[in-house]
Amino acid sequence: MQKELRHWAGLLRERAEAAGLSFPPVLFEEVGPEEMAMLAAYGGFPRRYPHWRFGSEYLRYRETYRYGLSRIYELVVNTHPVQAYLLRGNTLLAQKLVMAHVYAHADFFHNNLAFKPIPKDMLSEMAQHAAFVERAMERHGARSVEEFLDMALSLENLIDPHAPYIRREEGEEEERPPERLRVRPYLDPYVNPPPEPPKEAQEGASPKPLPPRPTRDLLGFLARHAPLAPWQKGILEIIREESLYYAPQGATKILNEGWATYWHTRLLLPLLTPEEALEFAEMQAGLLAAQGFNPYRLGYLLLKEVEERWDKGRFGPEYEALPLGERLRYERPTGEGRKKLFQVRTVYTDLPFLEEFLTPEFALRQGLLSPEDLPRFAEAKRVLLFRLSNLGYPIVELLDANHGNRGELLLAHAYEGVELDLKKTKAVLENLHRLWGRPVHLKTVVGGKEVLLSAGT
Amino acid sequence: MRPIERDLLRFKEIVRGEVKKRAREFLTREEFFGQVEGRLVSIPLPQLEVPKIVHGEPPGEGLGLGGAGAEGMGPGGHVPVAELELEEFLDLMGEALRLPRLKPKGEGEVTEEAFRFTTIARKGPRGLRHVRRTLKESLKRALQTGEYQPEDPLLVPEREDLRYKAPRSKPRPHAQAVVLFALDVSGSMREEELRLVKVLSFWITLWIKRHFPRLERRYLLHDAEAWEVSEEEFFRAREGGGTRLSSALLLAEEILKRYPEAFYNRYLYHFSDGENWQGDTPLALEALRRLLPTLALYGYAQVQGPYGQGRFLEDLRENLGKAEGLATAEVRGREDLPAALRRLLGG
Repeated sequence: MQKELRHWAGLLRERAEAAGLSFPPVLFEEVGPEEMAMLAAYGGFPRRYPHWRFGSEYLRYRETYRYGLSRIYELVVNTHPVQAYLLRGNTLLAQKLVMAHVYAHADFFHNNLAFKPIPKDMLSEMAQHAAFVERAMERHGARSVEEFLDMALSLENLIDPHAPYIRREEGEEEERPPERLRVRPYLDPYVNPPPEPPKEAQEGASPKPLPPRPTRDLLGFLARHAPLAPWQKGILEIIREESLYYAPQGATKILNEGWATYWHTRLLLPLLTPEEALEFAEMQAGLLAAQGFNPYRLGYLLLKEVEERWDKGRFGPEYEALPLGERLRYERPTGEGRKKLFQVRTVYTDLPFLEEFLTPEFALRQGLLSPEDLPRFAEAKRVLLFRLSNLGYPIVELLDANHGNRGELLLAHAYEGVELDLKKTKAVLENLHRLWGRPVHLKTVVGGKEVLLSAGT
Repeated sequence: MRPIERDLLRFKEIVRGEVKKRAREFLTREEFFGQVEGRLVSIPLPQLEVPKIVHGEPPGEGLGLGGAGAEGMGPGGHVPVAELELEEFLDLMGEALRLPRLKPKGEGEVTEEAFRFTTIARKGPRGLRHVRRTLKESLKRALQTGEYQPEDPLLVPEREDLRYKAPRSKPRPHAQAVVLFALDVSGSMREEELRLVKVLSFWITLWIKRHFPRLERRYLLHDAEAWEVSEEEFFRAREGGGTRLSSALLLAEEILKRYPEAFYNRYLYHFSDGENWQGDTPLALEALRRLLPTLALYGYAQVQGPYGQGRFLEDLRENLGKAEGLATAEVRGREDLPAALRRLLGG
């Protein structure tokens, strides 16, 4: 990396830490556009398992860059140390802005509670996943592994984003199969005998329900209970683990980008030379453009709002009790803005962040809403929050793995007024049927009526 | 190879397989023609998306708050669009539909400048440095000056030794072709038949162009008389009177005089319902006997509805069935198109 960049990286780090941010070391690396396209396709990592989907993404990023339609300035990966990629050939000011931005992301990864259970060694995890899949391809044929990957990837969103936090009480945990020892194949039946069949006497007793309680962690359930080869279960585990790794990033997109934008602005503004001011303004305007749904803009404006409210004492029961018009004029100097911001960064994800701070006052002040539209605010907010729930995916639960005592899967969609894409859902159910080996059913609502979608019957 | 290149290759392989699988569908879908015009063909391939359980209709827009990531986490969410070079696309179609390769008849008069790196220069960019030649020069110099020692054969090229690959322009004869489409517009050709003609002539043109980049196109219409028209007029539905197929052939002969057979691969395609006036068929056959040896191919497609009664196809096959350069096909509906296309191209 150039000397000048290194100098700025150090300087910005000092200023960030002085301002109260705390984060592990950050490794910056400059990469060209093709490499950036590759990293973006691979979700920030230099190595992933072989799959055509990455090739398709790579092509898209590469071509949109070539035609000047999009430009990825920076990529930052939640690992320890934090790995960040800068696009080579950016102006010095752009690189400075991006580095300050990256430091704030690093602080967010490090301190936000949603990221607490996420492993920090994903760089090597991903490489191991790649090696596992490649080995499976060598042994079982690239095409058959790819076919399995295609099926498994269509279940990629059927995870429980909260799974890493859940600690079951003792005895509640599902019984795990005993560890298997790795031995040569011919010894396997002797060293790792198949589990004993249930005794006659137990047959009359009602078996424990499976799963013991409804679960959203379908991938995890399949990896434990589906009749699959070890390599297939391994792939399910891999996909589940990677989905869980990306889940908190999806759940904090607005807050995280807002936080990074807030800090690069704070850190850089006092350092700008007059010549740089215009370029900075231009970049900032592009970043915060009110075009479509812009998480940078919404996050940044909301954080500024929070800071202002807590600086001016616009919180607490006294404030809440005021009618709307008077709230806008209320003032009670407290100066707790910065403190509140750090609290928000630590304990919030997008959903509660918007729920709490996206108020009618804010919408009015930012021109998101005209006063006549005020009655529609609640509905608009509800729609927005709905789209952020569960990373935007429908909530699907596994109710029973022995439906009708026939070993069939019964899933249920938690219908909240928005129906499923039937064509895609049916394709997914077909895949699920092939994995499970027995018919599968999904309870959902179509055209206002409750229906049971099935595959394999 | 970097892993991403491997993934990209696999993706392209899947795209190609998908295109071949759907070749017949592409063949008959006119709305697809617009996409084949340019140098790049883009084909939406929704089947190249990993399906997921997602919400269907997005919930209503939320004022100025915008809509949030309906795609959820991770990459993806767009309908995959495969982009292929037109040539590659045509080759895949040709493979899937077993279209024959067209062989040029003789060389054209037009020459094309082709640059080939066949010569050596003393100056050039570093990337084109010719290592072997450079070292050879270096060796020569070392031998001359006596610096060369066989036991320690160290060669240090100097500026004067450097040699580079250099281009040389080479005139290359280029095969040319002309294709002439003749269409019978007598009363019996209806909208649906005209559409089949359009599909056939569209793919015939592309396929010939694939082999002869310099392709001239001419169009003529006829009922009892024949007249030349522009491409746009050719595809406009219209009705006329009786039918004399010979009129088209005579006009074609006239037009083709401007494209001497020595320099051009001449293709003539004739679309008709085959209901010729009695007495005209011998005239038409006679014109054809004259014309056939000078053509690369005469393709006659009898396009008629399910109840068509045209006879010209049979007459043609009876009288000239064995003649070289004659390709005939009968088209009664969309399902006949792939086979007809293959036959009309001489396959």
